Amino acid sequence: MTKGELAEPSPARILVVDDSSLVRIYYRGALQRAGFEVEQAINGIEAMEKVLAQSFDLLIVDVNMPRMDGLSFVRALRRAAVEVATIPVLMITTEAGEQDVDDARAAGVNFYLVKPVSEADLIRHVALLTGATA
Amino acid sequence: MSFPDSKRYYIDRRLAERIAATGCTSFQSYFAILRSDVEREIEHLVNAFTVNETYFYREEHQLRCLTSSLLDSVLRDKGEGAPIRIWSIPCSTGEEPYSIAIWLMENWGQVDRHNIEIVGSDIDTRALQAATDGVYDQRALMRLSRHVIERYFRPVARDRYRIDAGLIESIQFTRANLIDARDMASYREFDVIFCRNVLIYFDDASRRMAAENLYDCLRPGGYICLGHSETMSRISPLFGVCRFPDAIVYQRLESEHDER
Repeated sequence: MTKGELAEPSPARILVVDDSSLVRIYYRGALQRAGFEVEQAINGIEAMEKVLAQSFDLLIVDVNMPRMDGLSFVRALRRAAVEVATIPVLMITTEAGEQDVDDARAAGVNFYLVKPVSEADLIRHVALLTGATA
Repeated sequence: MSFPDSKRYYIDRRLAERIAATGCTSFQSYFAILRSDVEREIEHLVNAFTVNETYFYREEHQLRCLTSSLLDSVLRDKGEGAPIRIWSIPCSTGEEPYSIAIWLMENWGQVDRHNIEIVGSDIDTRALQAATDGVYDQRALMRLSRHVIERYFRPVARDRYRIDAGLIESIQFTRANLIDARDMASYREFDVIFCRNVLIYFDDASRRMAAENLYDCLRPGGYICLGHSETMSRISPLFGVCRFPDAIVYQRLESEHDER
């Protein structure tokens, strides 16, 4: 850090929303090693509760989840209170069709990645979307 | 369970420990307690007889076989989105199911594409409690690289480590008896079963019963991994032998069983 720069900003906070616990551990591990703070949710409903209670810089969201799926969650989020409606969403899913991507964009997803996602790819995209230099 | 004469000393000692622990002064009085199952003594006795010595990444070549051969085969006849089900029985104090989860995250590039369900079962409730506590000594971690230990464990005391809480949640731990068909009836549709170093403790009849139960728990074409000194060929004709580059495993065959 050179003179005159502000103190290092606190790490970006990321919410990982996926119903598979192994996937959550896998993403969380990668993100934490890159210096991000990570919270987890197992479906859209839990994600919505966490988003309304805490602040996040980015949401990483799976599509297929029980109770509330990823697209329904993002649609609900974009209609929610203004403080949370603008949080960027990175959707990571196995659905790779053109229609799937169009649906995601229409729902309000900012960026779309198709699984499997390597640790390096995940960190690169998250860094880009949070403006971090991880 | 069956024990040869050479294990007599071991049996006597464990039994004497239980008799002392219950405060009985004779075998007759202990036997009475056992028969009426006071204070769940049957369970305590079973726990005393089961062996709980294992470590992470034991027989690593089978884990390698899982990611280099078995999962590809399993996925070929599976619809998109269907879970991959893996069972560790007996799972003892959890090292094996946790090893499977860690191995997949470290070595399988597809890990985030699939919904992976890992179940760990054991007859010994004390072992299951230890598995869900997730605390291990240095010895159990001896085969893991420093990098893996740093990723999935936190030191809690001198030479003691606690496994990641998320990993504990990711495994479903249950009590099950391999030779009890009713117990085993609630376990179905597994793609891969790890059943290592337990059949060697059974007599021929129990071994066959266990093999038949395991057959029913597998999906058609599913695989079973045994310990390195064990073979299914002499136990049951229900399984085919598969020689993969990393390990020999057994596969559920179809036809004979349907006529059974």
